[in-house]
Amino acid sequence: MSGAWTIYRRELAGLFLSPLAWVLLCIALAFNGFFFVLSVKGFGGDVLQSMSFLLGGSYTFWMLVVLLPPLLTMRMFSEEARTGVLEFLLTAPVSDFAVVLGKLLAATTLLAVLWSSAFLYGLALAALGTPPDWAPLVSGVCGATLVSALFCSVGLAISALCNTPLLAAFFATIANAAILSLPFVDALLALPPGSPLRVALGHANVITQFQASFVVGALDTKHVLFFVVWTGFFSFVATRVLEARRWW
Amino acid sequence: MITVRDLTRRFGPHTAIEGLSFHLERGEVVGFLGPNGAGKSTTMRILSGYLPATSGSAEVAGFDVLRSSLEVRRRIGYLPESVPLYAEHRVEEMLDFQGRLHGLSRSERRARIPRVLERAGINDRSRAIIGALSRGQRQRVGIAVALLPDPEVLILDEPTSGLDPIQRLEMRKLLVELGREHTVLLSSHILPEIEALCPRVIILAKGHIAADGTQDELVRKLGGGARLRLEALVGPDVATAMRLLKALPGVVDVRDGGRLGIHHVFYLPCAQDLREDVGALAHAKRWAIRELSWQRPSLEQLFARIALDLPYETPGAESERQEPQADGSASSASRAAGALVQLEVSAPLAALEPAPAAAPAQSKIVYNLNPFDMGASRDLSKPKPIDGPAASPKEDA
Repeated sequence: MSGAWTIYRRELAGLFLSPLAWVLLCIALAFNGFFFVLSVKGFGGDVLQSMSFLLGGSYTFWMLVVLLPPLLTMRMFSEEARTGVLEFLLTAPVSDFAVVLGKLLAATTLLAVLWSSAFLYGLALAALGTPPDWAPLVSGVCGATLVSALFCSVGLAISALCNTPLLAAFFATIANAAILSLPFVDALLALPPGSPLRVALGHANVITQFQASFVVGALDTKHVLFFVVWTGFFSFVATRVLEARRWW
Repeated sequence: MITVRDLTRRFGPHTAIEGLSFHLERGEVVGFLGPNGAGKSTTMRILSGYLPATSGSAEVAGFDVLRSSLEVRRRIGYLPESVPLYAEHRVEEMLDFQGRLHGLSRSERRARIPRVLERAGINDRSRAIIGALSRGQRQRVGIAVALLPDPEVLILDEPTSGLDPIQRLEMRKLLVELGREHTVLLSSHILPEIEALCPRVIILAKGHIAADGTQDELVRKLGGGARLRLEALVGPDVATAMRLLKALPGVVDVRDGGRLGIHHVFYLPCAQDLREDVGALAHAKRWAIRELSWQRPSLEQLFARIALDLPYETPGAESERQEPQADGSASSASRAAGALVQLEVSAPLAALEPAPAAAPAQSKIVYNLNPFDMGASRDLSKPKPIDGPAASPKEDA
């Protein structure tokens, strides 16, 4: 796995050397900060609620989660395939999975940096005299990072499928939105209660999985596992797509 | 070191390579030659583990490229044609990355990186951003990256493409050096390069191996044989001279090349260089020799013939083909293409001295200006033009 670590370091450096990452970070932070201030005002100074609003409790959060990972992962395979660097990576003595893992961790790290900005808000509030509840803050950041990892793995699988970054970003956004809206299929089909599909869809509800655990400040292994397993699944898909590319 | 058996790769309905088999010994330097689309890059990509083969097998250093891909990748330095490098990184960062990928320790990386940069001749730009480097410099960085893990096998896909002539010479020097320590498989469609670098050549055409062997072997086997050209003043009895020449051991045949001024031309298709013998005969017979040369088809002609898909020829037909067809009545397509090959080879001369449209009038004394080009002639009764070949035979006619 030292290969994955090497790739991770390179990818992270690559991300922070590209203006895109900085622009995204800047916009997302401005966006977050703006809505946080609004929410603090809107909730009448309820710090706890504002914090949960910031991490998982609002549409703005889920919008960022759907939009940002595809923008970070879009170039990771599609562009490298165009410039030929992929040929270099795939002939280096590392496994395909290590390549995917390294890239996934790099994109996730960047988003983790973004989410951990919530600590700054916490510190700001503490400085102003109302210290937040730190436990839900920590679990919220962890959860947001796990969700980001899931959507980054989807983005990577799609980036490996597409030949242009733009197309990859577009399809990955759609895929992410589709994953988030899986529970609505239940309402759409009007499934009878207790039907296996309905139960399955209930389990695939990313938002409730997230909110049941991380927003309330508990790190439930069941929910952690949910995100880890699905991230693993999409990373596996990305690895297979990468392998299939060799046949194109 | 590299063993390829019956390698086939298809891209959908398109067959890139079919049934390739060859073997490289340790320390061999082999040139892959072929026109564009012949399957050079595909073969190299399969060897590097980037592409899987549709059928057949390939082994590098005793490891199967598909089953023990990682083992193979640890042992090869592969430079793809596109020279993939991270444009946003510095040269030394790229090398550091490659070193880490190959599991080199920090001290090994510290020791090796300056060394490979020096070998590739790019040590003065080690802090430069790769995106800001010129094509030739990037090519060097690519070589340095491939060399860093000190691989047993180097697979270089067109390492000299896009370089200027000076860089190309330097690259050639580097490749010769590398050939002493590594097993090298390199591809190119630049013939002089392969001729200068690779003792052994594999010529690919349309996905098949058209030829495989040392340059001499190839030229001998496929080139249609060599010949001796004698231009001498043999007196009126040409037939006797021909008989004498034919009697020399090793001479298969003597062909009368006709008169050139006061001299007579003979072609002697023969396998070895018989200039000594012919010279001795001429000395004994007091023939005044103007030219005695040993001509062999070059790798270039051979390659052109394979690339143009012309049939291989017998020695007799070959020597006939060597002469430019001034009458312009090429009988078949292959004949026309043969003339084309010839034209390419002697293009500068042909361009300087246009061939006469028809045979010159018999009363004129013609003098051959170029021993390789019978079409070029000038009227001896007129003075030689000072400014080169401006006065063409057409003006006289």
